[in-house]
Amino acid sequence: MFGVLDISVSALVAQRTRMEVYSANAANANSITDANGNYAPYRRRIPVFAVGDPTTGNPNGVHVARIDMDRAPLRMVYQPDSKFADANGMVGYPNVDSTLEQTSMLEAARAYEANITMAEATKAMIQSSLRLLA
Amino acid sequence: MRSGAKGVRMIEGLFDSGALPVLERTLQFTEARHRVLAHDVANASTPYFKPLDLSPASFQQALRQAIDNRRRGSDATAGKLDMPDTDQLRFTPHGLVADPTRSNEGILFHDQNNRDMERLMQHVAENTLAFRVNIEFLRGEMNTLQTAIRERI
Repeated sequence: MFGVLDISVSALVAQRTRMEVYSANAANANSITDANGNYAPYRRRIPVFAVGDPTTGNPNGVHVARIDMDRAPLRMVYQPDSKFADANGMVGYPNVDSTLEQTSMLEAARAYEANITMAEATKAMIQSSLRLLA
Repeated sequence: MRSGAKGVRMIEGLFDSGALPVLERTLQFTEARHRVLAHDVANASTPYFKPLDLSPASFQQALRQAIDNRRRGSDATAGKLDMPDTDQLRFTPHGLVADPTRSNEGILFHDQNNRDMERLMQHVAENTLAFRVNIEFLRGEMNTLQTAIRERI
């Protein structure tokens, strides 16, 4: 019975990581340079889940398998005065759509809640079995 | 320890009679199913994941068969409850070995996952309820045993 909590917790960790990725996307919606000031528009990150939990070696549960980059084209903005402008005066901005980030964030939050519900159910079950002994 | 010793047989007799073995099997099943359902909820956003489940119907059928078999024996309510294996469940002396099957029904989403959260949470609620009712019955049985052991009401 105790192993069941591991499953729900692995999902909580995965969903939290997913929410962190979406927040990073939203935060970097306008970042066009890297830490050194070089032109490198941020590309949207996509968390990808897979079955199993490598941290506990449990075949049940879930983990973040990898974080992909969105290969969608950059958002081109006409800014001829920018030092990053190309020959046509266009500057590439991150391919982040804040609406998409917000809806994805909502989905992750709901999934997180579902797993909390599951963990609560598991806890109640463990408690009632343990009360048999007392 | 061999059951030839009289004391051991008495204890085994206590635990192998009446509703106790039935409650024990049902608890084993609901626990195994809870594990599978937790796995399904955890993987609600995993691409290519198909929810798994253990069928309560096939478990109940096996349970009914086991109880019928016991009734046909020398003592209708006492004796070991031998559960027949189903396609998903194998009852061993060391516990239940479960092999849940994949469901392929429902809407297939773009990520090739056919999650059905409402149905899944319904299964969770039903299974948790079944577990708790079983625990209550088991507590009743244990209290009866305790009363008998203490020789007072």
